[in-house]
Amino acid sequence: MRNGLRALATAVALTLAAPAAAEEPSATVDEVIAKVLEAAKFLHDKGQAGFSDFNNSARWVWKDSYVFVFSCRDDRMIAHPLRPDLVGRPILQMEDEKGTMLFQDLCAAGEGAGGGWVEYWWPRPGEAKASRKISYTQSTQVSFQPDVRVAAGIYDDSMTVEQLDARAERAVMPQKDAP
Amino acid sequence: MAEEKLGNPAVVGLGGFGLTTLVLQFHNVGWMPSVGPVVWLGLIFGGLAQMIAGLQEMKTGNNFGYCAFTGFGAFWIALAFLFLGNHFEVFQASTTDVGWFLIAWTLFTAILWVGSLRIHGAMAFTFTTLLIGFILLDLAHFGLPELTVVAGYELMICAGAAWYMMARIILNEIYGRDLLPAGKPWI
Repeated sequence: MRNGLRALATAVALTLAAPAAAEEPSATVDEVIAKVLEAAKFLHDKGQAGFSDFNNSARWVWKDSYVFVFSCRDDRMIAHPLRPDLVGRPILQMEDEKGTMLFQDLCAAGEGAGGGWVEYWWPRPGEAKASRKISYTQSTQVSFQPDVRVAAGIYDDSMTVEQLDARAERAVMPQKDAP
Repeated sequence: MAEEKLGNPAVVGLGGFGLTTLVLQFHNVGWMPSVGPVVWLGLIFGGLAQMIAGLQEMKTGNNFGYCAFTGFGAFWIALAFLFLGNHFEVFQASTTDVGWFLIAWTLFTAILWVGSLRIHGAMAFTFTTLLIGFILLDLAHFGLPELTVVAGYELMICAGAAWYMMARIILNEIYGRDLLPAGKPWI
């Protein structure tokens, strides 16, 4: 309940800040990759006790982006900083306004070791109308959880998934020798 | 003084072991989203109650039960504290750390498993499924997280087998006959 209220307060604050959002800089590709990797490591280290952090911590919300956590196997949104209504709900049948089953695409893209990017339509924080969003997603390992995914995205009209996959691959590469 | 009839501590030990194991598997296979009930059951029924049962086994002269129930009671208490420690940010344990914790318990279980084979069929079956479950959870913590689900179903069988032994002790006494057989030792 308290988490829900906090998340609601965050959402309201972002909605009220919407007129200023036009001037606010947008999240960059590098920031998104870095935050997703940070979130994956955070959950690997903290385990299930870390899930609620994504519902109420400012650490996972920046500029016009945020990190959300979900499970493909369990078909469930585990944590979402701006949409408490989605937390605990099924995700795989969700469609964007163009009819894309976005979470099915996110689940497929996150299967590989380096994760991947997915394009879909989703409103910017504080807006009602959907914009083109490209999100980077990765899976992470959490004790007693068969499948946990983290993702964050940018709102952008020009970049392609292929370009972004190449950037993510370069960012993830140096970590490959980690156990 | 008239001879006093004593209860068998194993009924509580098996009850707590089976129930807490079962509830963790409800989580592992994805039916129960939160691990919360496992933490509290792990402290009380799987932990405290099973541990007391284990300590009571000492007076019956049963070293196997003494070690197994006290040991697995301590396992559940430690596991519950691992979750609580991570939440309260004291001595945090990562997924890899929990993996090593489970490997140590796998080795402990392996020793008891050798003993279980000589006790009776039901004990051998319970410890065989427990040992396999631990090995699956070890692998799940070192690169094969999807095995958590396989371990979940496999350990439900283990929990059921522990409850079979609990039921056997209670029901055979009440019905006054060998209602549920233990089965022959495997070796």
